[in-house]
Amino acid sequence: MTAATALLAADAPAARRTGIPAWIWVVVPLAVLAVIFYYPLFFILRQSFTGEGGHPSLAPYAEMLSSPLFRGALLRTIQIASLSTLGCLALGFVLALIVSFVPFPGARVVSGFIGTFLAFPSFLIALAFTFLYGSAGVFNFVAMDISGATQPPIDFVYTKWGVILAEITFYTPFVMRPLLAAFSQLDTALIEVASSLGARPLRIIREVIVPEAVPALLAGGSLCLLLTLNEFGIVLFIGAKGVITLPMVIYGKAIQEFDYTAGCVVAVVNITLSVGLYALYRFLVSRSGGGRASAVQA
Amino acid sequence: MLLPSRPSRVAAWVLFFVLFVPVFGLPIVVVGAASVAGQWNDVLPSHLTLRHLHDAFVSNAGIELLTSLATGIIASVVALVIGTWAALAVRALRRRGAKVIGTLFVLPIAVPSVSVGLGLLVAFSRPPFLLNGTSVIVVIAHVVLVTAFAFSSVSAGLARLPAHFEQVAASLGGRPAYVLFRVTLPLLTPSLVAAAGLCFALSMGELGATIMVYPPGWVTLPVGIFALTDRGAVFDGAALTVLLLVLTLVVLVAVSRIRTRASYR
Amino acid sequence: MADAAVMPGFPRAAAGAKAAVRARPGIRFDRVTVAYRSTVALADFSLDVEPGEVMALLGPSGSGKTTALRTVAGFVTPTSGRVFLGDTDVTSMPAHQRGIGMVVQQYALFPHMRVEQNVAFGLRAAGASRATIAPRVTECLTMVGMAAYARRYPHELSGGQQQRVAIARALAIRPRVLLLDEPLSALDAQLRSGMLNEIARLHRELPDVTILYVTHDQVEALTLADRIAVMNDSRLVDVGTAQSLYQQPPSDFTATFVGNANLVPVTVEAFDAARQEARVRFAACSVVVRANGGVTPGERRTLCVRPHALALEPPAAGANAIEARVVEVQWRGSAHRLYLEIDGIELRADSKPLREPPHRGERLIVHFAAHDATLLAAAQADRGSADHRG
Repeated sequence: MTAATALLAADAPAARRTGIPAWIWVVVPLAVLAVIFYYPLFFILRQSFTGEGGHPSLAPYAEMLSSPLFRGALLRTIQIASLSTLGCLALGFVLALIVSFVPFPGARVVSGFIGTFLAFPSFLIALAFTFLYGSAGVFNFVAMDISGATQPPIDFVYTKWGVILAEITFYTPFVMRPLLAAFSQLDTALIEVASSLGARPLRIIREVIVPEAVPALLAGGSLCLLLTLNEFGIVLFIGAKGVITLPMVIYGKAIQEFDYTAGCVVAVVNITLSVGLYALYRFLVSRSGGGRASAVQA
Repeated sequence: MLLPSRPSRVAAWVLFFVLFVPVFGLPIVVVGAASVAGQWNDVLPSHLTLRHLHDAFVSNAGIELLTSLATGIIASVVALVIGTWAALAVRALRRRGAKVIGTLFVLPIAVPSVSVGLGLLVAFSRPPFLLNGTSVIVVIAHVVLVTAFAFSSVSAGLARLPAHFEQVAASLGGRPAYVLFRVTLPLLTPSLVAAAGLCFALSMGELGATIMVYPPGWVTLPVGIFALTDRGAVFDGAALTVLLLVLTLVVLVAVSRIRTRASYR
Repeated sequence: MADAAVMPGFPRAAAGAKAAVRARPGIRFDRVTVAYRSTVALADFSLDVEPGEVMALLGPSGSGKTTALRTVAGFVTPTSGRVFLGDTDVTSMPAHQRGIGMVVQQYALFPHMRVEQNVAFGLRAAGASRATIAPRVTECLTMVGMAAYARRYPHELSGGQQQRVAIARALAIRPRVLLLDEPLSALDAQLRSGMLNEIARLHRELPDVTILYVTHDQVEALTLADRIAVMNDSRLVDVGTAQSLYQQPPSDFTATFVGNANLVPVTVEAFDAARQEARVRFAACSVVVRANGGVTPGERRTLCVRPHALALEPPAAGANAIEARVVEVQWRGSAHRLYLEIDGIELRADSKPLREPPHRGERLIVHFAAHDATLLAAAQADRGSADHRG
């Protein structure tokens, strides 16, 4: 009997007839995952409760949770993630709406581009922003040429707004994918019947399209929130002094200060936040129909 | 037809391009331009040059490129094997078990990459696994981060696979292993290829976990790019970024070609 | 059921319509052509639908009938030609200003709205007050027998119920023109005949509403329509009352598509002007058939006779009798279909279920009355034997 025997038993009873229970075959990949993922996860938790001298302690939490650095980072992370997500939802909805319902010859190319964008590294956008809006960027040259100023007038890149704009740019495709999938499943007869009943475009969007898009908006939005909460590349590359987020704190503590315990405390908070959000996301996706789950897997 | 009149359609298209081009097009164009810009002290670069790419390669870019390729290929293959095996095994489980085990496999998606790196750093710096400072820990980090994508992508493919192919094959006397290798996996090829392409692309651009665990002898391209831009060599960084994008694109295009061909079967 | 007290006010100008179209508009297609790049979906289509008339557009898929309907609804803009509602040229009027009720094959009920919200949609879009909306919704749902389901969601209803709601929703805006696009084809056979009666009843109750009914089903068209426009290959083939198209099809396409007639190329031998009958010959047979309008001896024509007009028993004195060989016998529940052959010419005959059906290869005599057969223009005859209806 080969390892493959029960793997393909689409129905469990058939596998049981062969004498080998179906769950046996799950053990191998699960064991690998346990060693490379769940074992390290456990150590993050254990390290976060390790005080001076290696004894179990709550002191690291007390110290970290009361520090202004952590509190600032937590608030800033949530703020940046929420504003970015709102931006992504607004921009993604408008763009997906036009691609789907006001089609133009290049619409397919646009959809393909959206798909490709998902596979790019996020720091690409941060790098581009420094060339475009950075102190030595194109727009500052233009602004200085026009106004005759000697100092670069555009400096939002080095504030949280720079990070938010970069994240909106990078994560909007993650909202557009499920929206485009949802819109493509919308029966065009609904729109036609609505307009034959006298509804104008805005009413059709509000009363016919939006209700159908709500599950996709929720799913895309919560995925976006999760990813922006954990975003590291964009914040690191922009490198603004005042814009410290939770992943940046983890990186700073563990790599720059060699304080693993402090890093682990922040990591526990960050992981709890994002796993909670992920649970919400899965719940929303399962409610909106599993078929769309694959649309947002990237 | 949402917008009946042509002027309103045209207005919508204009709105689309006013939003789309600056937001998505401009960043890519500007990084591309910067990678070949001689001097850029105005709206447009002064002249075009390949010096940045050359300079980058004279230092470390060649090795970093190979490091990234090796990491990406190994991590993708390992992730694809684990992910496919897991997806097939989970499918054989009963509903409840499949849901729980499936969640265990996709959960890494929800964990921030920096935290994944930190966990590996803490856990693999002590017995029984002393991997800190080796290239293996980088590959493991990438495997952790992309396996979940391989798993969900293959699972989605399996869910779309009509059950009757395997049932017919079994009714014709195909033993389970034979059916797996001659029917299920060939039918799954498009999903497998797509999953491989996605894993490779994600691995090539991975930064958060890598920057936590990489040893001095195993610097991937994104880490190298960050090092360059961090010390102000932004144009060299842009050149390498373009290289990274082109490589990713080539793989994605190849994958979609293979995928279309495989789906004709 | 509808009560008479509610009905009289019904066919006023539609609530949402901006266009000042007179109260009882018909539909007029004036040389309408619709082309997409290289394909022509509708070619030079002209048709007048009288106010209050039920016009069926009948044809196979791809014949252009749905395209014609969509030019009236405003979802397709003609490449050339004009569309009129009454005296108003609506060719380029946006759909939402036309005040036309439309019902489509897949119902297209808004899935997130209750039945009553679906029916109220058009009224709310027109800005009607709550006081008008509620009674109108009840009235329309009552008409289609769905008042008890007002609070349900579409997915809680059966296909037939959903289609009733879709009709109520279209009627709620008091349309002067109602477009029905294959409204019954998503329903199973039993429901279909029930809904057919229902639509016929609605039309009796709303005699002023002009109805354009697109279908590929000849039974629906024959049952419902005052007149039928037969379409094929993006063109109008024939227009006429159901009866005239069935009994005296002007073309071989109409003859086969409406009623699946046998078409046989014949030569005229003699014409009896007094009785309007002709003697014609095919193979070794010589038969007498009706020939309105006259024919000349020697002329080549196409004989059109329906399968159920061919009987194994002689129907009456003076009927034609021809000898044929049985090629195939099929039992179809309510009938036996015989495939017959006379010197290479195939004929189909539908008879009552037979106690002892003939065997293959057997020779037998079939009869048909002169008034059950007509003569068509010749030439197109070879397409005629194609069996459109299985």
